[in-house]
Amino acid sequence: MSSKKKTNAKPSETVEEESHLVKEESKPDISTKEESAVVPEPTFEKSIASRIVSKFGAKTVIGFIKPNRIRINTKKEDILSVASYIRDELNFDHAESVSGVDYPASKEIEVVYHLGSYSDQQLEKQILTLATRLPREDVPNPGNDSTRMPSLRDIFYSVEFHERECFEMLGVYFEGHPDNRRLLLPEDWADIPPLRKDFRIKGK
Amino acid sequence: MSTIAPEFRLSRFVASLTDLILWILVLFTLVGLPIVMIVLFYIELPVINGELLTPYLALTWMADPSRTLPIIKSLLQTDFFRIAAFPGFGFAALIAAATIFIERKFLAKMQLRVGPLYCGKVEGILQLMSDGLKLLSKEIIIPAKADKPIFWAAPLLFVGTAAALVSLIPVAPGWVVADIDVGILAVFAVIGFFPIITVLSSWASNSKFPFIGGIRALHQMISFEIPLILSLLGIVILTGTLNLTEIVESQQHYWWIIFMPIGAIVFFTTLLAELERIPFDLPEAESEIVAGWLTEFSGMMYGLVQLGSYVKLYAFAALFTILFLGGWNGPMVWPPFPEEIITEGITMGPITVKIPGLPLLDQEMLNATLWFVIKTVGVIMVILLPRGVFPRIRIDLLLHTGWYKLIGLAFVNIFIALALLYAGVLGPGGLIQ
Amino acid sequence: MTTQLPPGIQLEKVDERIMTLNVGPQHPGSGHMRLIIKVDGDYIVSCDPDPGYVHRGEEKMAEYRNYIQNIPHLERPVIHDSCNILYPYCLAVEELLGIEVPERAKYIRVIASELNRCVYTLYWLGIYGIFLGHSTMFMWPMGDRELFIDLLEGLSGARVTHAYLVPGGVRNDAPSNFEEKCLRHVNYFEKRLKEYEDIFYQNPVLKQRTEGTGILSRMDAIRLGTTGSVLRSAGVDFDIRKKEPYDVYENLDFQSQVLKDGDSYARSRVPYLDMLESCRIIKDALKKMPKSGSVRTKLKPNPKGGNDEAYRRVESGRGALGMYVVSDSKPEPYRLKISVGSFRNLICMPYLLKGEKLGNMPAVYWSLNYWPVEADR
Repeated sequence: MSSKKKTNAKPSETVEEESHLVKEESKPDISTKEESAVVPEPTFEKSIASRIVSKFGAKTVIGFIKPNRIRINTKKEDILSVASYIRDELNFDHAESVSGVDYPASKEIEVVYHLGSYSDQQLEKQILTLATRLPREDVPNPGNDSTRMPSLRDIFYSVEFHERECFEMLGVYFEGHPDNRRLLLPEDWADIPPLRKDFRIKGK
Repeated sequence: MSTIAPEFRLSRFVASLTDLILWILVLFTLVGLPIVMIVLFYIELPVINGELLTPYLALTWMADPSRTLPIIKSLLQTDFFRIAAFPGFGFAALIAAATIFIERKFLAKMQLRVGPLYCGKVEGILQLMSDGLKLLSKEIIIPAKADKPIFWAAPLLFVGTAAALVSLIPVAPGWVVADIDVGILAVFAVIGFFPIITVLSSWASNSKFPFIGGIRALHQMISFEIPLILSLLGIVILTGTLNLTEIVESQQHYWWIIFMPIGAIVFFTTLLAELERIPFDLPEAESEIVAGWLTEFSGMMYGLVQLGSYVKLYAFAALFTILFLGGWNGPMVWPPFPEEIITEGITMGPITVKIPGLPLLDQEMLNATLWFVIKTVGVIMVILLPRGVFPRIRIDLLLHTGWYKLIGLAFVNIFIALALLYAGVLGPGGLIQ
Repeated sequence: MTTQLPPGIQLEKVDERIMTLNVGPQHPGSGHMRLIIKVDGDYIVSCDPDPGYVHRGEEKMAEYRNYIQNIPHLERPVIHDSCNILYPYCLAVEELLGIEVPERAKYIRVIASELNRCVYTLYWLGIYGIFLGHSTMFMWPMGDRELFIDLLEGLSGARVTHAYLVPGGVRNDAPSNFEEKCLRHVNYFEKRLKEYEDIFYQNPVLKQRTEGTGILSRMDAIRLGTTGSVLRSAGVDFDIRKKEPYDVYENLDFQSQVLKDGDSYARSRVPYLDMLESCRIIKDALKKMPKSGSVRTKLKPNPKGGNDEAYRRVESGRGALGMYVVSDSKPEPYRLKISVGSFRNLICMPYLLKGEKLGNMPAVYWSLNYWPVEADR
């Protein structure tokens, strides 16, 4: 099984990831994963990632580099400048999805943007994952507590409805978004944001 | 129908039967017979063979069959028969019912389906009857804030106006309910009622979707009435008369559609718009405003509106036939009535029976009716066709079509008619008579 | 009632001239969602989409079931197109668990996915016809769908909601007469598609109603992040089957269909052209498919992914469908995010409907290839 370390967005740690893709032989009974081959890092993706790291230095940390998938972790204060750089210099022009992942163990919520490019021919297969971590409170008060981050709507217009959904499902307030309102949940939802891990489905 | 039937007791059953018989007799003698007498006081009883036809005489057919036919023949000449059965409301309702069934089957075949299949042994032919029974048994729901007198009266007015339109249409020479000298003007006057009734019924429903549907119907019908009238002016110019029977008689050698095809096309298009058929069925647009101005009608009121709608369809199709397709003119295909039956009677084996009063209806009239029905049914088929082919048109495109394009075409048609008249080709004293 | 309102809830002023219409969930012209439309006479002033009526919490439920148990409920967002919505899930899980899929399974997956695409597109086309009042265009696609539903029933056992694709391949092999039956149906269907062209796409009333309405320019399509047929009808050539091919799409011979106008007519035409391409793909795949072989790589019970994540995307009938799977060392995924084409195209609705006539609303709204159930997940 491939082991990867998840980096936290602490600027003091710059961890260099080794990334390799594990190839499996097609046996009918696969029970354990074996590292049978080590593939060198894909160069095109590495070039993109190193451009970002060289411009922003310690503020951004590379999550992983896989074929066609790059992950960059930043802090929430820097995310606007990193996102503008990605849009202007690297030609990523839209967001495929915005998701939030709840980590109650480390008291953080991670917001993950998947960015893609329609206009640039070389980038058509790439998806850049831009992630940031926000503090998480035990008793959420969506909109009025510390789980907030600047909205990327002015940079990537396509995240408008995705950020609304992230707000209602996880309680992350996006500053600068013109319309932080319920989208999918009913208007009279009075419980905690449902995608948090504290919210248990009945019977489980 | 939700009570559980109580236990059956024979004495109670017999008691209820006698109760029923008692009530029937009481109602019959105290209410029924006086009404019959009063009615007979006012109806003119015809005179047959020198005798006044009283109800008692009419019942003598049970005793003497040779007197049946003159009685029936004289009944055929009365006004009541003309209004109620042929060529009036009964005939129209029959064709309307057949149209509904044919439409469903025809549309289904175009759309890779089968249509009604299970009611009745032959391809669902009793579907209409079962639909009628179903509508009769449904509860009539009236919205709370609706304007009740108008709401109740609207379907009846609708059917009444459609029937008034039917009464102006001649089916065979001499067979018309109302032979007016200004026939076409009377037709337009009656057509002018339909938008009023639609708006009244939609306003009285007091609900948002019928309101939108009613306003759309009003716009549509009014904007298409003008091309309707204008497209017929050409025929009026060329024949010189407004009487519908005379217009048909003027088409004995040629049909007006040959000389005025543009008028026919304009009239056909406005006909589709007046009938609210696809592609012009905005007032009942299902996907946008639920059912338009018919939304709040339920039960038999809805049934009456549908009946009126299809009677109107028959009336317009018949109008098209009369004005453009030559009405009842056609080659004589009905076999003549064999003379021997009148003079010598029918021979079946050793018995020879003489039945005076034959023939019931003469050959000319039957031939005329046959051709009229064939042509009207053809026109109805062509009216039903666009339903399978076109989507619904948008309101501004509709008004555009009605006010600009169709009026323009109608004027072109009038100019053609005037040109033909003044060039001496048609009309009185023309080349073609 | 003077407490501070939660962020995002605004008070609304009632205006004399502007009427608010609820094209709501209970409406024959709206599907399962609500559009709050403000109309000024005949022109739409603003449109506020209100999805969420069919929200079932797919993503939350996925966190409580392991990778195989997730399959039946994950296909529920789009029941007709179930192979396409399970496809990125299977690809992502295979990447996480490191499984290799046999060759024959890949071809069967491609064929099933294309059949599903046709089934979904025909349903969408039927509803588009009925929104415009064209009842024949409603009946014909519903009838022609039955051809493909028959084939899929032979493959998987269910008419819709097939639950056919699993991580590791497909659930079972195709029946023995599948190939000739499929070829027959596809040949018949191609002839039928020519008739659709005549009655629908060349219909003058339809062209009047849809041409020039709801125009989406190329820049806007990219900026709004649209996907699928909406994107390709605005002139952007981006089809994931061509750009980031998955399974055996790089071996197959097809074109991605692009139109340049960006109006409703183009948006309604691109899925139709896609269906013609699907027929070619199916015929090609049937020729190139290995005639025998296993179709499933078996997994150990309760397979666990490591601390890893994967994002895979697939071109479904509505657009790019992506699945973001985060796993820790448990048999259930830690987080599963479904990024559906309908939800991404939702942003076009307030953007395009502003300033349109009310009569154009059905034509524009449904041409965005929006499936409300999928957008709600």
